[in-house]
Amino acid sequence: MKQVTLALALICCLEVVGAAQGPAPASTAPSPTQTAAPTVAAATITDADIKGLSGPKAEAKANGDPAGTTTGTVGDIPVGDAKKGLTIGDVVNQVGQNQIAINFVWTLIAGFLVMFMQAGFAAVETGLCRAKNANHTMMMNFMVYGVGMLAYWLIGFAIQEGGVGAVANLGGTAPLNAEHTMHLFGKDLGLWGTKGIMLTGTTYDVGVMVMFLFQMVFMDTALTIVTGTAAERWKYLAFLVSSFVMGAFTYPLFANWAWGGGWLQTLGANFGIGHGYADFAGSGVVHAVGGVTALAMGILIGPRIGKYTRDGKANAIPGHDITMVLLGCFILAFGWFGFNPGSTLGASANGNLRISSIAVNTMLAGMAGSFTAMIYMWTRYGKPDASMTGNGLLAGLVAITAPSGFVNPVASVIIGLIAGVLVCVSVEFVDRVLRIDDPVGAISVHGANGLWGVIAVGLFADGTSNYGGSWNGVTGSVTGLFYGDASQLLAQLLGVATLVGFVFTLSFVLNLVIDLAIGQRVAPEHELEGLDIPEMGALAYPDFVLNEA
Amino acid sequence: MVWAGIAITFVGFIAAVGSLGVTSNNSVRMVIVLAGIVASLVGIMGVLNPAYMKHAIWKK
Repeated sequence: MKQVTLALALICCLEVVGAAQGPAPASTAPSPTQTAAPTVAAATITDADIKGLSGPKAEAKANGDPAGTTTGTVGDIPVGDAKKGLTIGDVVNQVGQNQIAINFVWTLIAGFLVMFMQAGFAAVETGLCRAKNANHTMMMNFMVYGVGMLAYWLIGFAIQEGGVGAVANLGGTAPLNAEHTMHLFGKDLGLWGTKGIMLTGTTYDVGVMVMFLFQMVFMDTALTIVTGTAAERWKYLAFLVSSFVMGAFTYPLFANWAWGGGWLQTLGANFGIGHGYADFAGSGVVHAVGGVTALAMGILIGPRIGKYTRDGKANAIPGHDITMVLLGCFILAFGWFGFNPGSTLGASANGNLRISSIAVNTMLAGMAGSFTAMIYMWTRYGKPDASMTGNGLLAGLVAITAPSGFVNPVASVIIGLIAGVLVCVSVEFVDRVLRIDDPVGAISVHGANGLWGVIAVGLFADGTSNYGGSWNGVTGSVTGLFYGDASQLLAQLLGVATLVGFVFTLSFVLNLVIDLAIGQRVAPEHELEGLDIPEMGALAYPDFVLNEA
Repeated sequence: MVWAGIAITFVGFIAAVGSLGVTSNNSVRMVIVLAGIVASLVGIMGVLNPAYMKHAIWKK
């Protein structure tokens, strides 16, 4: 009887601890036909009360546990002091560790999914290029993973996250506490972090490791976008240098401003502009950074030979494997379930159960984008174009990336529908008006729709999300123009201005320096032959006789 | 003209950031930021890109 009373008292104690972690469940009054549950008198519990609790005996466990009812019991809670036995402190510590463990596992698995998106990008880009360049294009997408990771480990992560401060979902990440600031307009504006170089010293920390892995795979997504625009004429050595520079400096700098405690993130706290620049999973930080860098490279490197006639008319240069393209799009759509929902950095407490909404928003926007792109191409050119339909899916996914944590499903569909049309119009504009050759449409998919996603937050954020009661240091939920806060749109537009005005400029100048130093573009005769032999030394398809295209 | 395009693009960004110090009225800031974005786009599409297109490979 005493054990039953002690167990009930312990359950009451655990419920009090659970309430401190998050909101208590709503109580329901019993109906007139039900008998009210007996009230258990609150009791003060001491360590002595729980010391005697034990799990199933060894003999019972040796019989096996097919129903799972005796696996995971009080006997599995680590005891801090064997002499004292099980204490209240042990139990409460385990609750805390469980919460952080759930968040670690969630974030790491989401990061693994995003890493797999590299395969998706590789397939899409290689399929949209000609067969004579397949080895080269695939190798760019393969090694961008390693080059980007090296640059990020050496210095990029420190620049981006060195001063981010406490990330509660990951147990605090307290070592990331050094942000270089500039005093301007009466405020301290964060510019870049300085802790975390090569993950040494105090940043050799389990929470920091989770953060590094997750942020690294996002960085690599931005880097790989550029390889699509510059494909079929980019020198492999120049690609390596350019990608290293982007992973070490360009991407981390903007990412610090948006996510790492920098000035864009603190626009709300410092200047009263909404909740600061809000970019849930990176329409701006990842996709628009990649897209504007791709734009810079597209201008700098010039179009492929044969892309335009002497009077500037664009010629279509079809890819060699549309099946690879669409398979790659599916791989990307799958990986996006890590990209967006994983950006909560947790699945427990602080509003993180919204991962379900984020995942559904992601699906819906991608679906909507593919539909409008397909219908646009069908009505305009008479056939449902497969590559543009795939790009429509990607455009929807890119566009929903920033708003995914802040909007409802209807808004997600609207955002995706617009993205599908925008990508088609943008491809035509870039190709025919700007005369910038973009073999895979990366400027339109990631640049144009990345910017659209950033703006969409300022329009459609509905104020129902609650990630711990505040966002970017401003109390309350992110709310857009259509739900009553025009200042959020201003914060987003400042992000757009930074992407278009600063990130583009920085990317262009850095790549111009690389061009002057080692040259970005291959020799014309190598380009005509195909880059596989001159640059890589081997054909992707040695058994096939390739067209002279 | 290449450097002029780069400069115009960057000035658009400076104008947008400058709006934070020039006024505390968010509506005025919005106008300045939009003007900055337009300036940057003009710098990229209207000055820098045409400067590169003058010597485009398809014109040779």
